[in-house]
Order: sequence, then C-alpha cells, then structure tokens
Amino acid sequence: MTGAYAMRLALMLSIVLLAASSCKKEDAPGMKTGKKLHPVSLEVPAHFTQPVTDPDNPLTKEGIELGRILFYDTRLSAGNKLACASCHRPELAFSDAVALSNIGESGQTLHRHSPALINLAWMQNGLFWDGGSTNLESQAFGPLTSADEMHQNLSELEFELKQVPDYVSRFKQVFGTEVKSTAIVKALAQFERTLISGNAKYDQYRLKQPGISLSSEELNGLALINSKCRSCHAGELFTDDNFHNNGIDADFSNDALEGIYQGRFRLTYNKADLGKFKTPTLRNVLLTAPYMHDGRFSTIEQVLEHYHTGIRVSATTDVLVYQNNGQPGILLTAKEKKDIIAFLGTLTDDSFIHNQKLNKPN
Amino acid sequence: MKKFLSILSLTTILFASCNKNNETLEPAETAGKATLTLDAVVGTTDFALNKDFTANGKTWNFTQLRYWVSNVVLVKASGEEYAIPNSFYLMEENNSAETNSTYTYPANKRESIQLSDIPAGDYKAIKFSVGVSDKYNNNLSLQAGELSQLNGMTNVSWMWATSYIFSSLKGKVTEGATAKTISVETGLNANYRVVNLNLPSNLHIGSAKSSTILLNADVTRITDGVDIMTTPTVGASQAAAMAAVATNYSTKVFTVKSVN
Repeated sequence: MTGAYAMRLALMLSIVLLAASSCKKEDAPGMKTGKKLHPVSLEVPAHFTQPVTDPDNPLTKEGIELGRILFYDTRLSAGNKLACASCHRPELAFSDAVALSNIGESGQTLHRHSPALINLAWMQNGLFWDGGSTNLESQAFGPLTSADEMHQNLSELEFELKQVPDYVSRFKQVFGTEVKSTAIVKALAQFERTLISGNAKYDQYRLKQPGISLSSEELNGLALINSKCRSCHAGELFTDDNFHNNGIDADFSNDALEGIYQGRFRLTYNKADLGKFKTPTLRNVLLTAPYMHDGRFSTIEQVLEHYHTGIRVSATTDVLVYQNNGQPGILLTAKEKKDIIAFLGTLTDDSFIHNQKLNKPN
Repeated sequence: MKKFLSILSLTTILFASCNKNNETLEPAETAGKATLTLDAVVGTTDFALNKDFTANGKTWNFTQLRYWVSNVVLVKASGEEYAIPNSFYLMEENNSAETNSTYTYPANKRESIQLSDIPAGDYKAIKFSVGVSDKYNNNLSLQAGELSQLNGMTNVSWMWATSYIFSSLKGKVTEGATAKTISVETGLNANYRVVNLNLPSNLHIGSAKSSTILLNADVTRITDGVDIMTTPTVGASQAAAMAAVATNYSTKVFTVKSVN
C-alpha cells in the first residue's frame, strides 16, 4: 500500500465513519444527563462460582445505589409506612424474625414466611418459596402490589416518586427514562444482586486465611453437615436452589388460597411437586429464625429435631430425608446436634449484615 | 480503484440513509399502512358488554373481554414474511374497574391496530399470537409495544407466577335456573398460541392507499369444549381447560371477514 493510497483510504474511511455516526440518534442511557454510568461486576467470593449476568439489566454503580434507596423507602407502599426493608431487615440477614408477618397494608397475617435475601444473584431456579417468580425484577411486583403486603398501585407509585427531584434525575441517569415501575423493579433487582454473603468464619477457614481455625465441635458439625445435609444445602451457597418436600406435613391436599399450602404444585400442578418448597441457604441461618416456609419452627433446635424424629411421610417426601436405615429421619445424637449448631454459627457473616453499602443510605 | 468505488458507494448509501429530504430516484411504490380490526362478535351479533346474548342454549352477559395480540406477521403471496416490530397490542372491551387505590381503570373499547411501514406488495395471509412470548412473559420488567403492568393484565395472582394474563373473558352465564359468574383466563407460557389466517384474496398493501384487514373474534368459541357451568373459573389450576381455551383462540375464535 502506498502512502498516498493509505491516506486517501483513511480519509474515505473517516468520511464513512462520520456519515455513520451522524445517523446515531440516541446515546446510551446515562449520556443524556451527561453523567456517566459505571458498570459494576459483583464482588464474588473466591470460592463461589460466577453468577449469571442479566443482559437486560446490567449492573451499574448508579443503578445499585438507586435500588438501595428504593429498598429502604417507605414510599413504595400504599400507606407510605412499609419499605422492602421492613420485612427484609439487614441486621437479620434481610429476614424479619417473624413467623408470619402481619405488618402489611391489610393487617392480614401472611401465609408464608419472609425469606432471607442472601446470594440472590445465584438463584436461577425461581424465587419465592415455590419458585413462582422467574427473576428478581418480576418478583418485586408481587409484594409491591399484594393487598396483604405493600398494596401499592403502580400508577400511583410512579406519580409519587415523580414528585421527588432526586428520583427523577436518578431514573433519568440510570435508565434514561422517567420514573417507571419497570425501572423501579430493575433498580431493586440490581441492589438485591449485591446482597452477597461469603465472608463468614467458615469462608475465612475455607479460604485458609491466616489465624482462622474452627473448633473441634465446629469441625465435627461441618463433617456431619457434609455427610447428612449437603444434598440439599449444597455447594458454597449452602442451597441447591431446588425444591424438596422435607417431610414437613403428611398431607398437602388443602388447595385453599390458590394452593399456597401445596408448595411448588401451586405452579406446576404436577403431583410430584406437592409439598415441595425452595431449599433456603444455611448461610446466616442463626440470624434468620424462625424456620420453614411458614416459620413454624422458632429455633434451630426444633429444625434439627424435625429432621431427627419429625419427618411426616407422604407420596412426595424426599428420599434424602430417609437416613435411618431406609426409614424416614436423619439420626442425630444430642452432641451431634450441638456440633451442627456450632458449625452453623460459623456461617454467620458479620461483614454482610454490617456492610455499609447494603444498609440504609443516610 | 474498485475498492475506492465501493467505499464511495458505501459512503453515498450512508449519507443517503441520513437524508430525509432525499428524493426517491425510483418511482416505485413505498411502504404502506393497514388497519387490522378484530371485531368481537357473539355468533352473528356484534359483541357488547352488559347485554344478554343467547348462544349454545345459555344466556351470556359479559363484563370484560381482553387479550394480547402479539407478533403480527404479514405473509406475502411469495411466502416472504414481514414481522411488525414491537407488536404487543391489548385488545379490550372493558367496564371501568376499581383498583387498589383512588385510580380507576377507565372503561375502554379497542378493536383496531394500526400497522405501518409494511413493505409494498401483495399479501396472502396474516399470523399473530394471542398472549405474550416467553421472553417477555418471564420478565415483567421488559418493555415492548403496549406491554405494561399498569393495565391490569398482570394481577397479583398471576405475578406470584410471573406471567401476564394472556386473555380474560368475564361475565355471567345462565342456563335454566342456574347462573354462574365466569372468569376465563389463559396465561402460562404453554398457552401461547399462533393464529394463522389466510386472506380470502391477495391484499395489496402500499403507499397508494391504506388497507384494512377485518377479522371476526367470535366470543362464543372461546369456551368451546369447556363445560362452563361446571368450570366457570378457568385459570392456572384448571390447566386442561386453560389449554383448551388457548387452543380455541388459536383455531376457532378468529376468522377473516374481509380485506380491502
């Protein structure tokens, strides 16, 4: 290629580029206000797998911050008294310490226990106890609009937030739109994906951090859990992100309230799914009492006793809880239960519940 | 030199595509418009809310008819297809409805869809779907066309399972001395169905005139094969009846009345 040829070619190319760029009508969201968006990658603990990213709602510093503000804002409920954080309290690993809450707009007692919000970015198999919601974005519409929870009318919510100049500019910056319910749930989902807990004593031990060791009781508890509980409470997330009937009831025929007592059957209408509920993580489990989808067990001791002697058998009871020579139940001595609880304490992640980035903004 | 020419022509094309005032060099017909009307009927009578109709030996009184029409595709005589982008349309005849606040959903009747930028040509068929395709049905935060959470096509019962309501027919049916309030909904990904309709004659669409495609939507066919007196509520827990209703939308409800 001669020099002159190259120059002319470069000139032509630049004209082409100019012509092409002049066609571009709209810049990326965030550019309109002149404020730049900062893409964010989740801070994934070293021993975790990489979570799946959502191309339709890419994480940005500004989107996460907006979600955080919304998460703690009581304006999201009809009576402006309840925020997401009312039932998902950070100091309790985003759970609420109540079996079945009645603080919703209607004052009615709910039929399911508020789940703790931990490592949701890895939950790809449906949210809610029955997995009904396909993603965090869609999930938020449930509690937002349910009469027994925040009971918010979405048009009213948009109108209300549009009165707040800070929201108007943040929505414009993050999503390039006015305040819209779809953008509200996207921002909430972005924040929720940052609720990562992976720095408990167990993790520090697991990652061989200097000066960290587990006691003999804790180590024994870990060994017991590994041999008896890990089929469901699997991997570093301590959940298999799946649905099981853990022998909690003998009968799931009550189809009242759109099948709320029937577990995943409510969604699939497949008899094999009767009584199956999502495996909750064991992470921060000592902070998230009471337990089960309806909060029926107030202590972790009761949970262990359930697995030991309380399994109720029905057609869908999981074979994984048949650990007593083919009979239902997971045999545990008093000492073993104590050791398991000691180990579970090592899954309490203080850096998670005290993380300033996850707490209520000032 | 060939390379130069190709770059030059590329440049010209790019410039031309930006220039709105550019006069078309060819006198060929350009893209046209068409109005797609889905006229709700009860057998041979025009559909109306809050009015008694007799059909299938029963008296029907409807209070709501709503359904999503999506992914509208026009098929040329050659078989070539043109898919209308972003096509999600909410068809409805609806009484005003209270919501959970001071906001009232207004009464509305909507039977027509304006289709534009249709490449000029002769068209032999139309395809569309009743419902919302899985990508959008699985994520209520995605926006396209008229999809919205604000129009009552995602109530909380359905949101627990992340889904739009694909179709909804409400009202009262009376048979003899028995009256039942009916609510017939579809809304699972499995209920997403394509409607294929051949036009009675090729329809020319182009810039010369605006075309019309007029369909009948026969409400009496929606519940074909469903014993509405014993199953007056069709929803997720009546999966078989819901599938039957979805199939009815696909194969029985819509017919072409005329094209012009």
